[in-house]
Order: sequence, then structure tokens, then C-alpha cells
Amino acid sequence: MSTAGPSLVSIRNLVLEAATPRGTARILRGIDLDIGRGRIVGVVGESGSGKSSLAACLLRLLPANLTRLGGEIVFDGTDLVALDEAAMNAYRGRRIAMIFQDPMTALNPLFTIGTHLVDVVRRRHPGLGRADALARASAALASVGIADAPLRLRSYPHELSGGMRQRAMIAMALLVEPDLLVADECTTALDATVEAQIVALLEGLRRGFHGSIVFISHHLGLVAQLCDDLCVMYAGTIVETGPVADVLARPRHPYTRALLACELDDHAHGGRLVSIPGEVPDSVAAHVACVFAPRCTHATPACRASVPALRAAGPDRRAACLRLEEIA
Amino acid sequence: MTEDAPLLAFDGVSVVFGGRVRALDDVALTVRKGEVVGVVGESGSGKSTLCRVLVGLTPPSAGTVSVGGRPVRALLAEGRLAFRRRIQMLLQDAVASLSPRMTIGRTLAEPMAIHGLPRDEAQARLSAILRRLGLAQDVLSKFPHQISGGQARRIGVARALVLHPEIIVADEPTAGLDVSVQGELLNLLLDLQREFGLTYLLVSHNLNLIRRVTGRTVVMYLGQIVEDAPTRDLFAAPAHPYAAALLSTNPAVDPDRRHRRIVLQGEIPSAVNPPAGCRFHTRCPVAQPRCSVEPPALVDLGGARRARCHFPFSLDPLRH
Repeated sequence: MSTAGPSLVSIRNLVLEAATPRGTARILRGIDLDIGRGRIVGVVGESGSGKSSLAACLLRLLPANLTRLGGEIVFDGTDLVALDEAAMNAYRGRRIAMIFQDPMTALNPLFTIGTHLVDVVRRRHPGLGRADALARASAALASVGIADAPLRLRSYPHELSGGMRQRAMIAMALLVEPDLLVADECTTALDATVEAQIVALLEGLRRGFHGSIVFISHHLGLVAQLCDDLCVMYAGTIVETGPVADVLARPRHPYTRALLACELDDHAHGGRLVSIPGEVPDSVAAHVACVFAPRCTHATPACRASVPALRAAGPDRRAACLRLEEIA
Repeated sequence: MTEDAPLLAFDGVSVVFGGRVRALDDVALTVRKGEVVGVVGESGSGKSTLCRVLVGLTPPSAGTVSVGGRPVRALLAEGRLAFRRRIQMLLQDAVASLSPRMTIGRTLAEPMAIHGLPRDEAQARLSAILRRLGLAQDVLSKFPHQISGGQARRIGVARALVLHPEIIVADEPTAGLDVSVQGELLNLLLDLQREFGLTYLLVSHNLNLIRRVTGRTVVMYLGQIVEDAPTRDLFAAPAHPYAAALLSTNPAVDPDRRHRRIVLQGEIPSAVNPPAGCRFHTRCPVAQPRCSVEPPALVDLGGARRARCHFPFSLDPLRH
């Protein structure tokens, strides 16, 4: 993607498979993605497209029924896939941090917000005294717009509102001063006016935060507003990537086009609503054809005979479609 | 019931839970036959309680809900089944709302058996509705796990329609649906509405959906209706500051159509102890001293619009 110099993360042919009673589920089917330094990469896709699994791979927080994790995730020169558990721990919560979808389940109900934050600070800066750590925690809470931070440090998660809990989660992630921040649907559980507050907060934080962000969402409008780059996923593959405004203005992959056509926010009132006929493919199906071919209006026999590569489709743009040139 | 009497009428309806939580507060709303009315608001605004009061699941603590000019309380007393045939709910998660132990045929036949329809009449209705929804007859012998998600959603619609209701209450019908398939469901619901002259009360968080499919929108905040207007007019120019803020939170994909976002302070207060005066004054960007003392009434602003605000935004420059 459009970045000066090498990217922070280079994901190459990332494959994730898990055992299920029905057979091997292909959760990620060969992901290639670069995350530029200081860029916000929005990852969109329908449920089951592999967005959250991709996030889980970046932290290697993977379920136990996993049978295969292949390919590489080169993070600042180191392949995270090849690291052993102890070495991976040196990255988690130090160089890579995550904001989860539901702050109520991500925070421990038995500990105060202060304990959560101080733990993070002392993990990041082991030599720091408790008073200094508390001061940093307090400053972090204030920086995410929580009034009366010293008081809130003594609060338990259940004493805070949903919006405040998500702010506290963001403060925890920022205290890590990570090179990479992964936000998985971090506003989905919030009400609309609170979501607007969190998005405004994230936009404001961009100025002080120099790391990269992977922002996972199913809300295209939100991604369009917040992100630099866009990555569109479908059935465990990336179908299109590129600068967000460019991709949304001129989508190249038939799936991206269809997805944008389904958005309800155009002016036409009373007209027919658009949907993509058919269903997302079964994850246990073999991967021998274009994953979108069964629902694609442009599909030909060739599309059902081979897997299309993610290839160049204009400046900083890539798309995985055999017929890019024909259907442009 | 006279020709122009409203099909649904809420008159001063309040619901108080446990003597303290005012889930609905003095709701007045009328819906004419054939209208598609959207209800929007954040969690805790009373949307679901409004639905429950309408279908008779929650009795109102004060006020009256009427259907076809007669109070729901009286209709329920005369015969629960006769009332329930008139109003059906479309449940949120179609797949989860189907019993995994029952075939689709049994699931669809059950309401007709409960309502005492003769077997051949039930059979005829079932065939007709399946044909209309484009489902093959063999779906009846299948179990929920054997059908696709799209089919399950249509079965959910079929189940709501077999009793030939007049009113459909849909609580978040597209929640959890991917954008690629929500259009299909909404098209179906709108077609059926026109064909059978149905009246819809449609509750959703999805503002784009409300804008596309409803004729009128009701905005709720802390158990009260704060604005009620024709959908097109509301989205063009909201009168209530809360409606304006809520609508502005909906970012458009197209950057040229993105408007300035109004970011409210704080969160929706507790319904146990709502603010005095105007319930929205604690978060309102244009609140005046009067707002914290004197509760505003839901006032008619003309143009089929009502708003509960002492200082509604002027609509004149934007009126079209």
C-alpha cells in the first residue's frame, strides 16, 4: 500500500485452518497484506470473512482447535508465525496492542480500572514505581476524555458506562505505546451517539499516536471516514486493497462493487434495494476457484477453474479478479 | 372504526417498571392503516417497550393503546387469539427463532392450529405463502439446520404472515444481517406491505434503513418521543437537537455527502432518575436555563411534524 519506505507488517500467504466436526475449516486462505507505518488500515467484510481471525493472528491469540497456521507475518523484520510462545509474549502488550469489541468482557470485573492500567504501564516499563505508574495511568484516562481521572482509577468496570469502559480500553492500549494497534469492531457494541464520541476520539488521537492501526469494522461509512487504506475481505481471502477514498470511488473487484451497491445511503428513496444473491461459501469447501464466483455476475468458467491472484490494479491498488481488465 | 380513524393510537402511554423506571413516558402516537413507521433511538430509549405494549405483552401503567379504535385491554379481554391474529411480530434472529426440533412445516402450521384454522384452509394458506415467497414445497419437510440463512429469513416472514395480520411489528429485522443480504429481506417486506396493505412499525438502529424504507420516523429519547416527522423531512432537516445529533452520527461512504458530525457529551442518562425539565438538556448543545426547569411538550410544528423542544431548529430555510 502507499507508504514511504518498508511497511511495518508484511503478511505473506497467511493460512489458518481449524478442525471442525464437518471437516477442516479454511478460515484464512492465503492472505497477502502490507500495513504501512503510521497508516490506518480498515478491514471490512461480511461475517465469516476472516476479519477477526486476521486480527487474532497478528497477536497469535488463536483457538485451540487450530490445525494449521502457515505463511508469515513479518513484523518489523521478525516473522511472528515462527516465534515460540515466550518470544511472542514479548510482542503482545508491548509492541502490539488490541482494543476488543466488548469492553465489559475484556475488562476483569474483580479489578479496578487503575489496576488494569497500572499493570499495562509496569509491563511496558518494568522499572517504574507504583506512584509514577499511577500518574501515567491517570494522564492516559484524561487523554481519552474521562473526567475526574483519579476517581475513575478507583472504579470497577461495572461502575462505568459502556462508553467510559471503551475509553478505558483505548487508554490501556495507548499506554502500551504500541507500534501496531488492532481495533476489532471497537465501536460496534456502543450506541450511535457514543460511537460518534469514540470515533472523534480516535481521530483526535491520530495526531499524538505514531503507530499503525488495523481498524476492523463492518461499517463502510466509518472506515471511509477514519482510515487511510482499505482491505476488503471475503471468505478468508483479500479481494481488494488500496487507498480508502480511491477504492470506494472506483472499486475494481466485483465483490467490492456489489458491497458498495448494497449500502443503503444513496439518495434514491423508494427504489429497489440491492443485495448480492446467494450465500457466503462454506468454510469447509475446497479452495480451487475464485471464492466469489458463485455470486458474481461477471463469473466465467475460467473463474471456477482457478484461484485468482491478488494483483496490481492501478497505483497502490490490488485486486483478486481474473477479469479485472475486461470488466473495468 | 371510521374510514380515517387511525389504525394504531397511543394516548398518553406510560410504562413504569418497579415503580421507578419510566421506560415509556407519556407517549402519544397515531399510525394510519398502510403506513410504514420507523422508530429510532439508542438503547434505553423505550423502543422495545413501545413494541411490547403494542402487542399486549406489557400492560401500560397509564394511558391507552388502541387498535382500530378499541383499547387493547378490551380486545385482549374479548379474546386473546383474535387480537394476536391482528398483530404479529417479526423476530430479530430468524435462524434462532426456528425450533431446531421441528420441521419447517410444523413450525409454520403451529400458529394456524393454535388459532383453530381448519386443516384444509391452513394447507391452502401455507401453499400460497410459500409460492409468494419463492420457497419450494419440499422446504416443509426440512429442519432449520438444513436450510440456508436466506430461506430461514423468508420462513420467519411466512410465519408472521400465515395468520393474515394487519400490523407487523419488526424489532431490528436486519440486525446481524450482512449488508449483502439485507436488501433482499427489505424488498420482500416492502412488497408484502403494498400487496396486503400491511401496517409496519419498524424499530431499527440502522438509520440508512429507516431512511430508505419508512414514510415516517419517530425519534425516541429516554422513554419519550422527541420528534415525529415524515422521514424525508426529518433527514433533510431535523427540528430536535437530539434528532439532529443522532442523524449526524451516520457517516456516509461518499465523502461529498458527509455532513458535520455533532458529538454529544456524555451518555443517555438513567431512566431511574431522568433529568428534570427537558430530559435531553444535560447533553443538549443548545440548552438554555429554561430547559433544565420546564419540561417541553410534544408540539405540532406543522408539516405533519411534532417535536418536544423549547427551541426547535428553524425549518424555514430548508423547507422544500
